[in-house]
Amino acid sequence: MSAVAVPRENIESKLQEQFPQLTYVSQSTMDGIPTLWINRSDLVDILKYLKPQYEMLFDLAGIDERMRSHRVGLPSSDFTISYHLISLANNKDVRLKVAVHMGDLNIPSVHRIYPNANWYEREAWDMFGVTFTGHPNLFRILLPPTWEGHALRKDHPARATEMPPFTLDDAKQDKEQEALRFRPEDWGMKRKNNKTEFMFLNLGPNHPSVHGVFRIVLQLDGELIVDAVPEIGYHHRGAEKMAERQSWHSYIPYTDRIDYLGGVMNNLPYVMALEKMGGIEVPDRAKVIRIMMAELFRISSHLVFYGTFSQDVGQLSPVFYMFSDRERLLRIVEAITGGRMHPAWFRIGGVAQDLPEGWDVMIKDFLDWMPARLDDYQKMSMQNSILKQRTQNIGVYTQSEAMDWGITGPGMRATGIDFDMRRDRPYGGYDQFDFEVPVYQNGDCYDRARVRVDEIRESLKIVEQCMKNMPAGPYKADHALTTPPAKERTMYDIETLIHHFVNVSWGPVIPAGECSMTVEATKGMNMYSITSDGGTSSYRTRIRTPSFPHLQQIPLISRGLMIADLIAIIASIDFVMADVDR
Amino acid sequence: MEWSLSKAEEQIPVQDVALDEHLKRNLVMTNLEDMLAWGRKNSIWPFNFGLSCCYVEMATSLTSRYDVARFGSEVIRGSPRQADMIVISGTCFLKMAPVVQRLYEQLLEPKWVISMGSCANSGGMYDIYSVVQGVDKFLPVDVYVPGCPPRPDAFLQGLMMLQDMVGKERRPLSWVVDDQTVIKPEKTSQRDLRNKERMKATELKEPNKV
Repeated sequence: MSAVAVPRENIESKLQEQFPQLTYVSQSTMDGIPTLWINRSDLVDILKYLKPQYEMLFDLAGIDERMRSHRVGLPSSDFTISYHLISLANNKDVRLKVAVHMGDLNIPSVHRIYPNANWYEREAWDMFGVTFTGHPNLFRILLPPTWEGHALRKDHPARATEMPPFTLDDAKQDKEQEALRFRPEDWGMKRKNNKTEFMFLNLGPNHPSVHGVFRIVLQLDGELIVDAVPEIGYHHRGAEKMAERQSWHSYIPYTDRIDYLGGVMNNLPYVMALEKMGGIEVPDRAKVIRIMMAELFRISSHLVFYGTFSQDVGQLSPVFYMFSDRERLLRIVEAITGGRMHPAWFRIGGVAQDLPEGWDVMIKDFLDWMPARLDDYQKMSMQNSILKQRTQNIGVYTQSEAMDWGITGPGMRATGIDFDMRRDRPYGGYDQFDFEVPVYQNGDCYDRARVRVDEIRESLKIVEQCMKNMPAGPYKADHALTTPPAKERTMYDIETLIHHFVNVSWGPVIPAGECSMTVEATKGMNMYSITSDGGTSSYRTRIRTPSFPHLQQIPLISRGLMIADLIAIIASIDFVMADVDR
Repeated sequence: MEWSLSKAEEQIPVQDVALDEHLKRNLVMTNLEDMLAWGRKNSIWPFNFGLSCCYVEMATSLTSRYDVARFGSEVIRGSPRQADMIVISGTCFLKMAPVVQRLYEQLLEPKWVISMGSCANSGGMYDIYSVVQGVDKFLPVDVYVPGCPPRPDAFLQGLMMLQDMVGKERRPLSWVVDDQTVIKPEKTSQRDLRNKERMKATELKEPNKV
């Protein structure tokens, strides 16, 4: 990945120039992103200074450093909060880290500088118990309000079976229900003003139009939305904690289930980060196979979006057409990988197996079939006057709002920001492909849909190029860390047998270090940040998903609209809850 | 009953049918209990409820390639009060469990539960702090559908098994008639039923051809 457009010295010298008294430690990471450990007291000033140059707080996450053994040259720390800033205009990143210690677990909140820090800080508090001073509502975000402890701390149990068995008697049911009750006062909301008494409406966590277990509490004046509070955490599967006990290899199936409409697209950033850490060069055939499968899943995910979006604004039939096309696609996926939604088919160093005989015929059939269908859908859905009226000029945000709230992917490109990881930081072989990046200007629900609809066609183009130019050669790298290892070299002597046995049973040992890898996933920019302590499993795996910040922004774009507009907004965001809560 | 097939262009031959055959074709003899069970069995309306990945496959079963309407279950209901069945399609989270419980309580009797997918069956891959290890820890489950996620076909099979059970179930005809016990048929494991047949397979399709 060409992550570093700006050399390390540059940002350091800039900061030194601006803050002559600054003390910091520079860390070298395997992804080459400039990483600086700064003092807690300097954090706010530095972020204020960097904000104009780095528009977006891309990620904010914690790590429990207390059990980590390989941290030579790093400042002492019990818990580290890491701020990953990104500038899309200048295509550069910087990572700032702040150490905090037990007994003094607090750090200033930066939500006034980067508004989207709000949820990230709540998450870091929920998971690690680090207090963010000045945060307006530092409540739990992923775990239930009644939870005790902080789940991503190393001393918190990981397994449900390590904790007392789950029971749900009447008393507990009442207690948990009561804990979920929404209290407007907690959020600084008034129950009435001098004109009217507001109604508070729970939408979700089970509602047909919220696309999963998502709850949003609305403060209503009649049917007008005065304010809204999105509530997440009903889908928290502990994916990050899970990574700490799976082997590097056996975690791959868990990545599939993060954005469960994206299938192998999720495997990609994970295995690419590991390959970078292990120094594995992936053969061309594997690269092209990966791109082809990832793009097929992008089409599949966008088709689900297209159908449900139309359905949510009142068209009942399009979804049936789109799902039947998705079935054609999944038939190909099944023929190639053996799975439908969660193939877990990418491997460290390549893919699980070679393409089956006849794959190209299936792809060709699909490529011949799909464009005419998209023309139909254009007439059926996108040109439908009711759909247009329901979505045009609804849920508008500007470019700077998109940056402030960490919006990536189609939602960002609908505001006119022309940035796509595949083109601007080509990874995994995307530089060899010819495709356009659809961009629209209005930033409303309709344009978000238009970007995705156009992206389906671009993905078809990429898949076609993959089909026509599939390189010959191996589908797995010839490297000691490639998993599973080559079976052919097993049965010669005890040495080869042992190596194979160890790599299959324990799995590979990824060298200690830190590396992050971002891809343009179906819903936006998806990043895996991996910390290895030189073991057979991850020390910390941070998953920055696109949907998490997208939901945080809902109140901003729904105030003053009707409930029906909110449904259109939710449909146009295209999220799945597993991608939000992980 | 005797049947005969004819092509559209053919003249349908007039058959001289005996009286008892006429009766067979036009009359159904049954008792009230059986008729109610038959009705219940063939119109199980699911509650529009989903938790995670499995719900996508459940929704896929509504669409044209699978078409759950063939089994009378396409009428998904937005309100639990109008639904007969809840499909726990996905991972049951600790934070979600009280909500699931409340929704189940709101379903009106008679009601049935299908547990769809490994997470709902047992926690599956997710033996993790935030996940209930199987929805049967707090709900009575009628049918378990394995898979991660189960294919839509598997869900349909689960639904047909539930229909079978519902057809055999015996319930009081009303709250003032009979004693109020519900007699449910015994749950059978498909593994036990089909193991012999499955073991007969000697040739498996190779993965290197589509």
